[in-house]
Amino acid sequence: MNKVASRVKSAFGNQQVLLLTVLVVMVAFFTSRNSVFFSNAVFGNILSDWSPIVLIAIGETFVIISGGIDLSVGSTVGVSGVVGAITMEGMTNHHQGQNLTLVVGLLVTLGVGLLVGIINALMITKAKVVPFIATLVTMGAGAGLSIVFTGGDPIGGGPAKAISLSVPDFGPLSRPGLVVVIIIAALGIVLHKARFGRYTFAIGSNSFAARAAGINVNRHLAKVYILSSLLASCAGYYFYLRLGSGAPTSGQGGELQAIAAVVIGGAALSGGVGNFFGTALGALILTTVTSGLIIINVAANWDQVAVALLIAAAVLLQQYRNRVRK
Amino acid sequence: MTLGSEVPLYEVRNASKHYGSVVALDDVSMKIHAGEVVGLVGDNGAGKSTLVKILSGAHQPTSGQVFLDGIERHWKSPQDALEAGVETLYQESGLAPHLSVSSNVFLGREEYVKGPLGKFGFLAQKKMDRIAHENLEKVGIAVPQSNRSISQLSGGQRQAVAIGRAVSWAKHVIILDEPTNHLGARQAKEVLQIIKNAKAQGLGVIFISHTLPHVLEITDRIVCLRLGKVVADAPTSTFDAEKLLGTITGLIDSK
Repeated sequence: MNKVASRVKSAFGNQQVLLLTVLVVMVAFFTSRNSVFFSNAVFGNILSDWSPIVLIAIGETFVIISGGIDLSVGSTVGVSGVVGAITMEGMTNHHQGQNLTLVVGLLVTLGVGLLVGIINALMITKAKVVPFIATLVTMGAGAGLSIVFTGGDPIGGGPAKAISLSVPDFGPLSRPGLVVVIIIAALGIVLHKARFGRYTFAIGSNSFAARAAGINVNRHLAKVYILSSLLASCAGYYFYLRLGSGAPTSGQGGELQAIAAVVIGGAALSGGVGNFFGTALGALILTTVTSGLIIINVAANWDQVAVALLIAAAVLLQQYRNRVRK
Repeated sequence: MTLGSEVPLYEVRNASKHYGSVVALDDVSMKIHAGEVVGLVGDNGAGKSTLVKILSGAHQPTSGQVFLDGIERHWKSPQDALEAGVETLYQESGLAPHLSVSSNVFLGREEYVKGPLGKFGFLAQKKMDRIAHENLEKVGIAVPQSNRSISQLSGGQRQAVAIGRAVSWAKHVIILDEPTNHLGARQAKEVLQIIKNAKAQGLGVIFISHTLPHVLEITDRIVCLRLGKVVADAPTSTFDAEKLLGTITGLIDSK
């Protein structure tokens, strides 16, 4: 019995149970204030908001566990979506088929993500620029280029089919939403059950030890940053499907939401700590707060205050736990 | 014993290492035989760390050669040396505190599940937990639970795991940089016992320490460095505490 209990505890961890409780309490609270909250339509909306955030937050989870930070994910969402949208607009103007256009658009969008990831990886592992600065550079460049490419306006004019893909088909979940769930679940398994995740933890925990154990630390970190940017471009494509256009403002501030989700999920910015369920729930809590406050008619600016309080609570909890452990 | 006549297990010949204009090692040679514990001593800045880095593959010598089992080797990385059976336990902890005991024991040498999932890097965690436990036990360590994280262990337990890992993987040589540092008397004794077991298994052990009583107790031979040069290389039986200290500090000139 005791064994089962400890296994359940180690499988799910304290933090996740707590986050789940917070989530349930939030849903109950918002529902009590306005019963409209408890509906498929609202849950669908929350999941639509959650999908792109959780994508970049999972990438950020790998980065933060490895001991780094990726500030560029938000603007990578924008710039990749914009370049994909321009491509799809051009193909549509040249009367290409919708399916082909969507596939090529996806590949181009992911290509931009790959490129940003490679630039980050080279700066961090070859030029030895600290991750904060390296990704600050790509963050600024990406945000600037999105405006340059578009003049600041969203790029529509792509395949009309795109937006119809984003209707909820699976309960509250749309088809792109389902793909997001599959992607992040697979990455969760990679993080906790496979070598890639193990090395990510090891490097963040003690990169000297990782190197001494024969792990190619630079190559692994390069992969982590490329993964993060690729996921950001997935989010860029997700926004395109949802809005039917690529906007330079998509993903704006996304890096902060992602970092918030990761921290609320129990990760430490010093590296070596973090987990998949925590991040997924952290992102869900953030999007639930945003939707809930709108529905119970609280001014939108309170949203940021609520998020700030959540982060503060998560960090205090972590410090308390560290002290108890010692 | 006719150790001197055999081919040494591990040997560095005429190694020098320059960092810019600084000469950290100057024409250093040392040998180690199977089943032998060699103490490497010297004051801070004598070149011990540099020599350890060359022996472990972390640094390449500016000039000089390294031989394992009589064959010249060129380590390009610690990985090369590890794969050839030369294990190093660094003074800075070589363990990842957030990972479990068995994850640390298997770090860089993970076991994978059978079948296609294993090809994707899926870890056989239970198998690793079990083998890690067995290997540590074999080396002579009172094993903490394999799935506990290193940060939950005491300093002595951590050091035991680190040494146990190195000894259980080493095929030829094990280099221990200050393994008894920061340990209590009883824990230090346990570590020395592990080294004796490693020696009995036929491993060559290089023991780097400032704790001279431990050096005198455990080693068969002592190599002393001063200012980047070997100033003494003699059987431990020819030293006593006073002579050893004098050789290290340079008050006694044995050459």
